[in-house]
Amino acid sequence: MYSRALPYLLILPSLFLAAVVIFWPVYDLVQISTHDVSRFGQLRDFIGLANFAALADDPDFMAALWRTGLWTLSVVAGALVLSIPVAMILNSDFYGRSVARVIILLPWAVSLTMTAVVWRWALNGESGMLNSALMGLGIIDQNIQWLASASTAFPMQVLIGVLVTVPFTVTIFLGGLSSIPDDLYEAAALEGASGWQQFRTITLPLLKPFINIAIVLNMIYVFNSFPIIWVMTQGGPANSTDILVTYLYKLAFRVGKLGEASAVSLVMFAILLVFTMIYVRLAMREREA
Amino acid sequence: MRKSKLVRSVIAWLLLSPLIVLTLFPFAVMFLTAVKPRPEVLSPTWWPSEFRWSNFAEMWVATGFGRALLNSLYVSVLATVGAIIVAIPAAYAMSRFRFAGYGAMRQFLLISQMISSIVLVLGLFRLIAAWGLIESTTAVGVVYMAFNVAFNVWMLQSYFDTIPRDLEEAAWMEGAGRWLTLRKVFLPLCLPAIAVTAIFTFINAWNEFIIALTILRSQENYTLPIQVFALVAGRYTVEWHHVMAAALLATLPVAVLFAWLQRYLVRGLALGAVK
Repeated sequence: MYSRALPYLLILPSLFLAAVVIFWPVYDLVQISTHDVSRFGQLRDFIGLANFAALADDPDFMAALWRTGLWTLSVVAGALVLSIPVAMILNSDFYGRSVARVIILLPWAVSLTMTAVVWRWALNGESGMLNSALMGLGIIDQNIQWLASASTAFPMQVLIGVLVTVPFTVTIFLGGLSSIPDDLYEAAALEGASGWQQFRTITLPLLKPFINIAIVLNMIYVFNSFPIIWVMTQGGPANSTDILVTYLYKLAFRVGKLGEASAVSLVMFAILLVFTMIYVRLAMREREA
Repeated sequence: MRKSKLVRSVIAWLLLSPLIVLTLFPFAVMFLTAVKPRPEVLSPTWWPSEFRWSNFAEMWVATGFGRALLNSLYVSVLATVGAIIVAIPAAYAMSRFRFAGYGAMRQFLLISQMISSIVLVLGLFRLIAAWGLIESTTAVGVVYMAFNVAFNVWMLQSYFDTIPRDLEEAAWMEGAGRWLTLRKVFLPLCLPAIAVTAIFTFINAWNEFIIALTILRSQENYTLPIQVFALVAGRYTVEWHHVMAAALLATLPVAVLFAWLQRYLVRGLALGAVK
């Protein structure tokens, strides 16, 4: 009897903690989003899906939704394209490899807030060090006001997003590459396969499960990423760099439209659940294979 | 037939150099701005005329860095210790017992790992406000703890699974009870994994932004990321050399810790993610 109950007793504290801090807020968000709610959070009448309908009619929300898609796809794709060759180089044997590894993984340890603050300064129009570096190199001949319009601010934010996503992605690929036995390459080289052929027929197929997992996990992280955009532009100018998370934060804590903010939360929650289900599928298929 | 290692090294470094430059760029900006004399900060030159180390001491006083540092330490230690204490029994149960809810628990952990605090921030704010804990660094620490439990259980279980049961069974044969075996045989073996997991929780908590931004509203409760952000956001004049000095000081300890430990993480993730 005692030992039957034991495993449940052991997992109870973690279950309890997660339930209070994760599931209670989800329940609360469902309540707020389906009720008329005052600016101070008092629930009034049940209004069904009116808050969701209001979102669908809100051009800023729709723009943020599309921009979130663009943001997520470009950062994830950029990080993927960059990380495969970088991981392959880091997996090969060369002098100073461990130093190179530490440097490339380093952004992972730095808070996104700090990274974004530094870039906000580096991109400063008059005194920013990016402008002075580019001018010194003769690439531009006058200062660019990077953060003053979305057409320059958003691509820079994507670039920074890619840079901070690379370390995690490279780490996953390094794990994958180290599981590929060397004799496969030796055999292929004996058969006269070129480097590109080896990459296409050995590396890529064997790396594929790791690529899939990196894509799904990165989609989740990037989709949720708040500090880069918030610190650099707060979604501005005029909501033109907002993604869902920053728009949600504004709705909830600036404008005080709690009902619509919780509706945004739940939309995001649903999208995340889909990502998670894809991840579970991939992880399960991986185990069966 | 194979190229010499020297040639390969040169090629590898050349190929990596654009990424390395981009990665080190923010660190260079941080450092060079932090040591510039104040009049030079706004002039767009790279190299300072002299290295003004006293900027750091000045910044420490002017920005209330010490208090933010203490808040960050408190919140991160609370989250780390709490998460590990809660996660060890759970990971042990999942690694060593067969029980009915096992699959459900794995799914639950996975889902709670996917949900980020930003999605729930409004609900969390209301939860904490309902308990009258706005401004409480303890509440922030507990929220970090809860969000890190899933990662902790996941990492620890994947490590516990690699420890052969024979060791524990041998101890049982000698007449040691489950608790004694756990304390004298099992946990000492797991110490490295526990340490690595704890340190990564610490780094997560140290760097967290959105919960702290939402819950901590007055300066004496700010953690470091919020303190540094507050020096920049909504100010007419920004003392950039102070901001960069603060960012550098807040970043350096965790960066060093990370550089030292990253290969353990690579191994742990490889065990956890693909198994």
